[in-house]
Amino acid sequence: MALARPSDFAHASAPAPGTFNPAYIQVKNFSFYYGHNKVLHSLALDIPERQVTAFIGPSGCGKSTLLRNLNRMNDLIDGVRHEGDITVGGRSIYDPLLEVIALRKRIGMVFQKSNPFPKSIYENVVYALRVAGRNGKSELDEVVERSLRGAALWDEVKDRLHESAFGLSGGQQQRLCIARAIANRPEILLMDEPCSALDPIATSKVEELIHELKKEFTIVIVTHNMQQAARVSDRTAFFYLGKLIEYAATPDIFMNPKNPQTEAYVSGRFG
Amino acid sequence: MPKDPQSDIPARFRVAKTTLLVDRFMNQFIKIGGLSIIVAVFAIFVFILAQVIPLFRDAKVEELKAVQLDAAEYAILGIDEWSELPFALRTDGEFLFADVIGERGLTRKSLPFVTEHGFGAAHYNQLAQRVAIGTRNGKFALVDLHYRPVHAPGGGRSITADPRPGPLYDIGRPGAPITHIAYADAGARKLAVVKQEPAENGGPVELHAVSLTQRRGLVGGGQISVDRSFDLTPLVPGTIDRFLVPAQADAVVVATTEGEIIYLFRQGDRFVVRQTFRPFPESPGPLSTFNFVFGDVTLVVGDQAGSLKGYSLYLAPGAEQRLFGHTKTFPAQKAPGTVFANSVRNKAFVVGSGSHADLLFSTTEDRRWGKSFDFAVTHAVIGGKYDRMVFLDDKHVLHFYRLDDPHPEASFRAFFGKLWYEGSPAPRFDWQSTGGSDDFEPKLSLVPLIFGSLKGTFYALVFAVPIALLAAIYTSQFLKPEIKTVVKPVMEIMASLPSVVLGFLAALWLAPIVETRVPSILLLVTLVPFSAFALGYLWTHASPRVRVLIPHGWEFLVFIPVLLGVGYAAWQMGPALERLLFVVTDPSTGARVADFRLWWPTVTGTPFEQRNSLVVGFMMGFAVIPIIFTISEDALSNVPQSLRSGSLALGASRWQTAFRIVLPTASAGIFSALMIGLGRAVGETMIVVMATGNTPIMEWNIFSGMRTLAANIAVELPEAPHHGTLYRTLFLGAMVLFLLTFLVNTLAEILRQRLRSRFRSVE
Ligand SMILES: Nc1ncnc2c1ncn2[C@@H]1O[C@H](COP(=O)(O)OP(=O)(O)O)[C@@H](O)[C@H]1O
Ligand SMILES: [Mg+2]
Repeated sequence: MALARPSDFAHASAPAPGTFNPAYIQVKNFSFYYGHNKVLHSLALDIPERQVTAFIGPSGCGKSTLLRNLNRMNDLIDGVRHEGDITVGGRSIYDPLLEVIALRKRIGMVFQKSNPFPKSIYENVVYALRVAGRNGKSELDEVVERSLRGAALWDEVKDRLHESAFGLSGGQQQRLCIARAIANRPEILLMDEPCSALDPIATSKVEELIHELKKEFTIVIVTHNMQQAARVSDRTAFFYLGKLIEYAATPDIFMNPKNPQTEAYVSGRFG
Repeated sequence: MPKDPQSDIPARFRVAKTTLLVDRFMNQFIKIGGLSIIVAVFAIFVFILAQVIPLFRDAKVEELKAVQLDAAEYAILGIDEWSELPFALRTDGEFLFADVIGERGLTRKSLPFVTEHGFGAAHYNQLAQRVAIGTRNGKFALVDLHYRPVHAPGGGRSITADPRPGPLYDIGRPGAPITHIAYADAGARKLAVVKQEPAENGGPVELHAVSLTQRRGLVGGGQISVDRSFDLTPLVPGTIDRFLVPAQADAVVVATTEGEIIYLFRQGDRFVVRQTFRPFPESPGPLSTFNFVFGDVTLVVGDQAGSLKGYSLYLAPGAEQRLFGHTKTFPAQKAPGTVFANSVRNKAFVVGSGSHADLLFSTTEDRRWGKSFDFAVTHAVIGGKYDRMVFLDDKHVLHFYRLDDPHPEASFRAFFGKLWYEGSPAPRFDWQSTGGSDDFEPKLSLVPLIFGSLKGTFYALVFAVPIALLAAIYTSQFLKPEIKTVVKPVMEIMASLPSVVLGFLAALWLAPIVETRVPSILLLVTLVPFSAFALGYLWTHASPRVRVLIPHGWEFLVFIPVLLGVGYAAWQMGPALERLLFVVTDPSTGARVADFRLWWPTVTGTPFEQRNSLVVGFMMGFAVIPIIFTISEDALSNVPQSLRSGSLALGASRWQTAFRIVLPTASAGIFSALMIGLGRAVGETMIVVMATGNTPIMEWNIFSGMRTLAANIAVELPEAPHHGTLYRTLFLGAMVLFLLTFLVNTLAEILRQRLRSRFRSVE
């Protein structure tokens, strides 16, 4: 893979630094175990507010594991253990007094494989509101339109909101999942390789969407695709074998990597 | 030799011959296996159908022989119990026996007393093979026919008859001619009734009765003598036409020429009018038909237009005595019935008029057979085994018929409709296949059994479905996998418990406990779920500091002790609740007692039985829970993890995820689980047989039992004579069961497919 070109970078549109909390999410000396298998090794990084942070690295290096820890989705797996801490807005997500449900309402998530519910498009979008007990028709209607517009899907589905979500194409389903994730206006949006199952046209639509969304949300995106990281992110973290190798502004990672491993990876010499 | 299709393919791409062979063989094997299952199911259905179809056949009747009798007038036609030697009694008192099987032709026997006193009237009792003959001068005698099989020396057997008259008794007005006679012998009670027309004196028609007693000799019966005489004439308004004496010898039923029926009943040493009624108020005039069907409880009456009705004796609600009431309406006859004969084996009878005869069945009002002959019928009789019929025509020819009607009681209405059975105050769905007496009327309605099956299934599912489903949801969505691996095999062991063991436990262990502890059970079923909900509520509202003490998936460690405690408390508090709420006055002692078993019948009016639906529901629930649990747990576990994650990531709780996402997605599988559970409950036999009283009642009362189709087959099939009506009716029950499950399964499958396409999830 060729080195990314400067025109690929998104920093031109990035907001002026200092406007937002540069350490909105803090990963502090964080280690993580599946059983006895330690997959994250004493990670430490700060993720800034309302910017796109990309996690890159070869398969199995622990990108998804870290991402899923940010909203404690890993709790669902048996025999996991962690050391260190993660804070969001200064508060530990492992605080026993913190409702994990409330945490997840704050942090939306889009999965690698689109996973619409076996319900109508409409019901998929309003699911987060319904489980929160918000059932007012006008509010829901409004949220559906706003979320679907936010996910650039409104024009394509506005006439069949009450049809099954399974009637949508793969790319539309993934954008529906994004609409669903932003319906309740979370603060943070986690995306785990959201485009890996999509064709190039659908991918570029989602990437455009990420540009739009970052005005409102703090986005953390895991990706495999170097150009994508370069195109959409403001900061990039490179992981290798469960260790954070290098974390810097995206142009620096791609144009000017400090670590030889990073250099080797972004220039496509291994991966 | 055919060219090997693989010969032009490079060797490395060729498929090994054995692979192809095994593949082909397995294909065929699976095909044959599948087909043979279909064939087997179909064959079972065909077999059951073959057992059932004969029930719905009409009677088959064919003429075997015709014998020319003397050109004379005949009073009665009769037949022996072997149906080989019918007789006709000439009005000059001569018996003519016609050998319709052998070659003996006609044999005659005249009775000297008839020649001497003149023939007045005769009455034939087919069961006793006895004829009562009244003379022209006010006397009567009983003539025993003495039918007897005689074994010829060279083998073979023939029937002979030897009519021997008993003593002559005086009855009624001395010397007055008897024009109608009836006689009944009920052992201790014997009653002879005659109509006399002292025409010479121009007097009116008179009705007289005598009761007879039999002095007990040292060996056998002694002499019969007249005990008491009754003049019944004043009791009958209008002109006496005909009368009947029921076999119980306690009454006389008189028909007048005006078409009125007077029911005279003997009370001590006199007769009283118990009932007077007109079966056909719209058509006055003498009745055409006026006879009993076998059992002498149902009266068949016909008017001059050919209408035919049945009147049965029954005790109406609130009435003190059994009276005749209109219970049957038979198919109308083309002409008024003048000839009548009833079977002495069942409730069938023949009505004839002119050249037409119909064979009717009283219970079902069904016409079994009918025919227009090329002769005019004057007399008829049905063979004692309901396998022969004899008609006498106006040209004095005796026609001997074979009657082939093995299942006269069967009809669609008998199985699925309400019938007005003898003695019952209203039409009912009833199942009672066998009874104590010969004249018992089988009640073959399958409706109470279908009802019982539904009732048993209902109570089993009411108990099993919530427990099994909630357990499946909890196990699949909340429980730690370590515990899950224990729970599932335990449930599977539970599924393999033989139902006879469960039935045994239900009948001998559970039923006696439940009987005395109903209030405890009431508390249990209300308090335990309530405390579970309350505890759940408290738990979700508890401080996170408390909740972090228990890791996710181990919450049951808190719940179980609490629920056990509540259960124990509920059980112990039962008697206190009983003393508080279920107090009644014991009708026998007048004391106030706290006993649910007495309280329930007094308050609801429905019975309380020890072996009741609660016990069955509980035990059958036990049989059904593992099935529903296992299948629905699988269905729930198979919901893709990605859907659960998606829901949880949106901030839904585990319950919300379970109910809003997992349950609908697994609904097709859960539906199958319910249907398979339902099928098991409908077909379940041993538990029901053992844990209920098997009473075929039709009420939803939870404290009474039931009889299900399956239990009915198990209970009655061993007793049912091969290919008899009951045997075939049981097969009909099996077919109903078969169709019921087939219907339910088909509907379920359609619904399941719909659910499946609706909640098809991404793989
Ligand atoms: N549920 C799990 N249980 C045990 N090990 C896991 C699980 N998920 C991931 N792993 C392991 O953790 C490591 C990191 O995986 P992951 O975070 O999925 O990597 P990435 O997303 O970077 O490809 C891998 O070695 C993987 O095998
Ligand atoms: Mg991954």
